[in-house]
Order: sequence, then C-alpha cells, then structure tokens
Amino acid sequence: MVMTETSERRADAGERRADTTRHRLIAAASHQFAHRSYSMVSLDDILAAAELTKGAMYFHFPSKQALALAIIDDLNEMSRAAVTELLTRRMSGLETLIDLVFLQAVQNTQNEVARAGARLLETVDNTTDLSTTVWQSWIEFVTTLIQKAVTDGDVVDHTDPEDVAKMLVALWVGTRRISDLDQPERYLDNLQKAWILTLPSFTNPDRIDYFTQFIKRRHALAVNKVSAKPRSVDLHATAAAAAHTDP
Amino acid sequence: MAPQARSEATRQKILNAAIDLFSEVGYAAAGLGEIIERAGMTKGALYHHFDSKEALATAIIEQGTNLTRDAFHRVCQSSSPALENMIHGVFVVTDLVDTDKTARTAEQLTRGLLEFNSAASQVWSSRLDTMTTQARRASTEGDLREGLDPDVVSESILNTMLGAQLLSKTADGNDHITRLTRSLELLLPAIVAETSLAYFREFLAREYLRHPQAGGSTD
Repeated sequence: MVMTETSERRADAGERRADTTRHRLIAAASHQFAHRSYSMVSLDDILAAAELTKGAMYFHFPSKQALALAIIDDLNEMSRAAVTELLTRRMSGLETLIDLVFLQAVQNTQNEVARAGARLLETVDNTTDLSTTVWQSWIEFVTTLIQKAVTDGDVVDHTDPEDVAKMLVALWVGTRRISDLDQPERYLDNLQKAWILTLPSFTNPDRIDYFTQFIKRRHALAVNKVSAKPRSVDLHATAAAAAHTDP
Repeated sequence: MAPQARSEATRQKILNAAIDLFSEVGYAAAGLGEIIERAGMTKGALYHHFDSKEALATAIIEQGTNLTRDAFHRVCQSSSPALENMIHGVFVVTDLVDTDKTARTAEQLTRGLLEFNSAASQVWSSRLDTMTTQARRASTEGDLREGLDPDVVSESILNTMLGAQLLSKTADGNDHITRLTRSLELLLPAIVAETSLAYFREFLAREYLRHPQAGGSTD
C-alpha cells in the first residue's frame, strides 16, 4: 500500500516534470514562431531558449512540424474556451461575433501561443490540410452566429448566412495579415474600421447605429487592454517624467 | 453508493422537499412534519442534517444564491463595458429567479428573513459589492454621469431589481422582466452619461426583447 502510494507519487512527479518540459518547449517555440517565419526558425534556437536538450524535445515532439501543429492545437483549444465562455453570456448572434473578434484580436497581440498559432496556421507546411479544416470550422461556427443574427432581426434575411460568414472570416484573417501585431493599437484600429465599413452590407439599416456604437465600445476596451500600461498609470508616469525633466 | 454520497443525497432530498413546500405555502406555514413526509425520510434523518427549520432555510438560501451569484460573476468577468455587465447581470439573475426553483425559493426566503437570518442579509451586501466594482469601472469608462457615487448607482439598480421581484409576485413572475425593464428605462437617464444614453437605451431594449416573456407583449 505504502509502496503503491510512493510509486504513484513518483509517477505524478514525473508527469509534472514532463508537463513542465512540454510547456517550456511550447513557450520557447511560440516566442520564435510569433516573430519569425516558420522556415527561418531552427530547432536549435528553440532548444537554446528552452534550455533543453534535443533528447528532451524528441520525447514530446518528433519534429519542428510537430511542435508547430501542437501550437496550432493550443490556439484552437484557447479559441474553443473563449467561444464557450462567450456563448454562456447569451447575447445576440452579432454581438457574440463582434465580442469574439475583438477578444481574439487582443489575444493575438498579447499571447504568444495565440500569435504564433495564428501565424503558423497560415504558413506551416503540412500534408493534412489542417488550415483548410480550421477555417472551415470557423466559417461553420460564424454561419450559425449569422443565422442567429437573422432571427434576432439584426442581419438582413435576403443574404446567405454562409456567404456573410465567409466574408467576415476573410476580413478577420486579412486584417490580421495586413497589420503589424507589434503595433496592437493600429491593428485594432484597422479592425474597427473594416467592421464599421462592412456593417451596412449585411446589417438591418435600423440596427447599424447600435452596432457601430457596439464596435466602438469593444474597440475602446481592447485598446485599453493592449496599451502597455493602464491609462491612470500612464498619466502618473507622464507626471513623474514631467517633474523629472522640469525640476 | 459511498456513505458520504448517500448522506449528501439524503440531504439534497430533504432540501428539495423543503424548497417545494416553502414555495407552495411560504416559510411560515411550512411544517417540518410535512417536509419529512414529502422527502420520505424519518425525523432522525432530517435532524441529522438540519437542526431547525431556519437551518433548512439557510441551506436553501446558500444553494440558491450561489447560483445567482455565479451567474452574475460570469457576466462581470467578461471584457464588455461595465455598464453593459451591470444591466445584463440584473437580467441574467432575474431570469434565473424566474426559471430555477432553488434560485426562486432562495430569493423568497432572503426577502422574508432579511432581518433575522445572517445568510439572507449577506446576500444583498455581496451583490452590492459586485455591482459597485462594476459601477466604478463604468465610471472610468465614461458611461456614468459625472459626479455620481458608484455606491448609490449600484444601490439604485439593486433596489430596482428587488422592487420588480416584489411587485411581480402576482402573475407567476410573467411580468417580472417587463417591470424590471420599465423601471430601468426610467433610471437610465439619471445614471448614464449624456453621450452614452442612446446606446444604453437600445441595449436595454434589446435585452428586453431577448426574453421570451417580452415577445408576446410587444408584437
């Protein structure tokens, strides 16, 4: 009995160590993939950053590609969690979608796994059509939100929800690609402008004002979140800097 | 079943019987004897878990208000503007009270025992805390009128929520959402900044329309 408990505990500790190793590899690889293209990143860079040996890595990931796919998996898991969380709020279809878009945008600039995952999704070499599958499942999900938005009366009922979904997913991916994620505020600004511009193409005319406001509010909160420091701290820093330069 | 799980199941069975009886005849008229009978338990089993009718009420209040508290917290954790969370949160709690028997009975008991039971008096002070945190954020987000005290704003919203609960007791809660919406409509101009008012009027109207009860009365 005692022996079993001890060996169990030892197994637990082993698992925890394995978890930490995996976590370190993912974190180091995400940092590399978030800022450089897939082909430019070498395994040696990742291993050096993670302070691990090749052997430790091969225990978890047989190749650079396997690491990349694991990061994409982690991103998908994050997105699923965000979606589940949002759906429990039981807002309307279009509100849920806009919330999700800004949530993902913040995540893309603040979280390296998310940023690397999004970038890898577009560039990683793979034979499995992974990115097609991922985008297809996004289009399907956005389609259900647009269908809901039609019954909510927010989206006009004479367009095909799937067409709207495809356009919005393209807008979302495209905006990320043309934006520099190291300048999160400009990225969010691009996102806000693109959305406000496209609203009239599928939104009921009497709902456009409301959703324009809705987008502007999400944009303002997202900007607050990505700016390096909260505004009040910034003011404080400015005052301190002013005091310093102007004795 | 493990003894602990069995004991927990017994406890829940007694609670369910008490919830049924309290909601049918009210706390004062409910007798322990009838609760025992409904639960199909012995007096000993009941007294093993609850030493009095008030202990039963306290357990129901805790269980039911945990539901509403968690639902409200979930809303407040979102990254939406805080004033949206405050309005949406009130509707989510109201919904839960209308649809969940435990949550509803807990509200009834809370109202009835407010002055006598510490679990009951805790409920509203903790709701006020949660609401005030949001109100402070709403104030920094520029959605509240300038110079308003976040505590007073929170109190007014909770008063509205409690008032709608009390007055809608009649038509089996059907007009609950309508009463709540009407009062909040009146309250909005007093608390919302001029530039945000139109948006929040629409936000409230949408919140109202989303509720099934509202569908019939507006079409």
